[in-house]
Amino acid sequence: MNEYASPPAACRAGLAGAEALDGMTPDDIAPPASPDDASLVLAIATRRDRAAFVALFSRTAPRLRSWFMRTGLAADRAEDLAQETMLAVWRKADTFDPNRASAATWIFTIARNQRIDALRRAGRPLPDADDPSLAPAEPVAPDAAYDVAQAEQRVRAALLDLPAEQAEVVRLAYFEDRPHGEIERSLGIPLGTVKSRLRLAMGRLRARLLDRDAPDRPMQDQSRVGGRP
Amino acid sequence: MNRTPKHHPTESTLLRFAAGRLPASHALVVAAHLEGCPACRAGVRAAEIVGGALLAEMPAAVMAEDALTRALARLDEPASKPAPPPPARDLAPGVPLPAALRDLAVPRWRWMAPGIHRIALDIPGAAPGERAYLLRVAPGTELPEHGHEGEEITCILSGSFSDTTGTYGPGDVAEMDEEGDHRPVADAGVPCICLIATQGRLRMRGLLARLIQPLVGV
Repeated sequence: MNEYASPPAACRAGLAGAEALDGMTPDDIAPPASPDDASLVLAIATRRDRAAFVALFSRTAPRLRSWFMRTGLAADRAEDLAQETMLAVWRKADTFDPNRASAATWIFTIARNQRIDALRRAGRPLPDADDPSLAPAEPVAPDAAYDVAQAEQRVRAALLDLPAEQAEVVRLAYFEDRPHGEIERSLGIPLGTVKSRLRLAMGRLRARLLDRDAPDRPMQDQSRVGGRP
Repeated sequence: MNRTPKHHPTESTLLRFAAGRLPASHALVVAAHLEGCPACRAGVRAAEIVGGALLAEMPAAVMAEDALTRALARLDEPASKPAPPPPARDLAPGVPLPAALRDLAVPRWRWMAPGIHRIALDIPGAAPGERAYLLRVAPGTELPEHGHEGEEITCILSGSFSDTTGTYGPGDVAEMDEEGDHRPVADAGVPCICLIATQGRLRMRGLLARLIQPLVGV
């Protein structure tokens, strides 16, 4: 299976004999050489390509399971949500637009929404329609010069470049429901310090997304939280 | 909300929104703000990219043996078609309902206090103690001074209000936590309509406010 070796060509040309893969079992499929996630999602979107789904599942589902457990879900729940997320990837593949987000970012938003949905459903019935408050953010800078791959790469590089103490509070925010309180407790640093580290970190990440040098938004742009001047 | 907002959610709130960690009601208020704020959409997108990067570096867990077989068996299940987006409608003349609220039942304005009307919103998935409502405050009306047991987040949809932290116009967000007390006043001109999410009960200052609090249910 090296049809994915050259993803763009494979996407344009279509896979000859892809239909023959319908009904195969997981054992029939060798691990893919080095397909990239975006071309797999596009193959699913354009051809309902099961081989592409298998390749994506093998790589992504185990990480999703880890992710959901890390967010505090029990193992069986995490397993279920990894499954549901992959099914949502299959069903929503045609909404993936590589000009707006990388496959990694897109899959993250699906996983996030699946988790929110599952938690909300546990408390109360939820309509099937997608919650608009969960919709992925609109394009950031929809001009021709905006290169998603480069912009995302800048953000990921900026994340690696963050001072350790800033990276730590950012990471924890994904895994704690009350980041401020929890972080304050677990790191033993004052709340104000947590907030200022988050603000600096987010300012940098956003600036790199937009390819700006300014590391931070001016203070007066921040709406104040609590207290008086 | 044609103007570019001047007051934004904190970076922490945007990060929690992107990470899926905000309460449902608070996420709705942030979503309403994002509709008119490219700068905050960029912040959310940056945090989503970080989420994708964190997900990619997760260790690969061992899935159940039949995980892939089960997933493949479900691929042909008919997916529930997403409902078409409900049509745009106005909350008041010239004040469009935020897209984030279009799926919700929005009942009529109810009188709450002199100059103050309210629509309580029923948010799917809201946790106990979480509330979301629309407030319409007549120009010049002063809200009772109050503090908060939990976090409060407000997005202005029309008109403006002022408190000690500044003046907030359409699209602006004001956040208050349990440390803050404030006494917002609707500015002159058009009624101030805002979308508010709270956690926990408000702490009303003053006898009258405390007397009406049980009646209005805030």
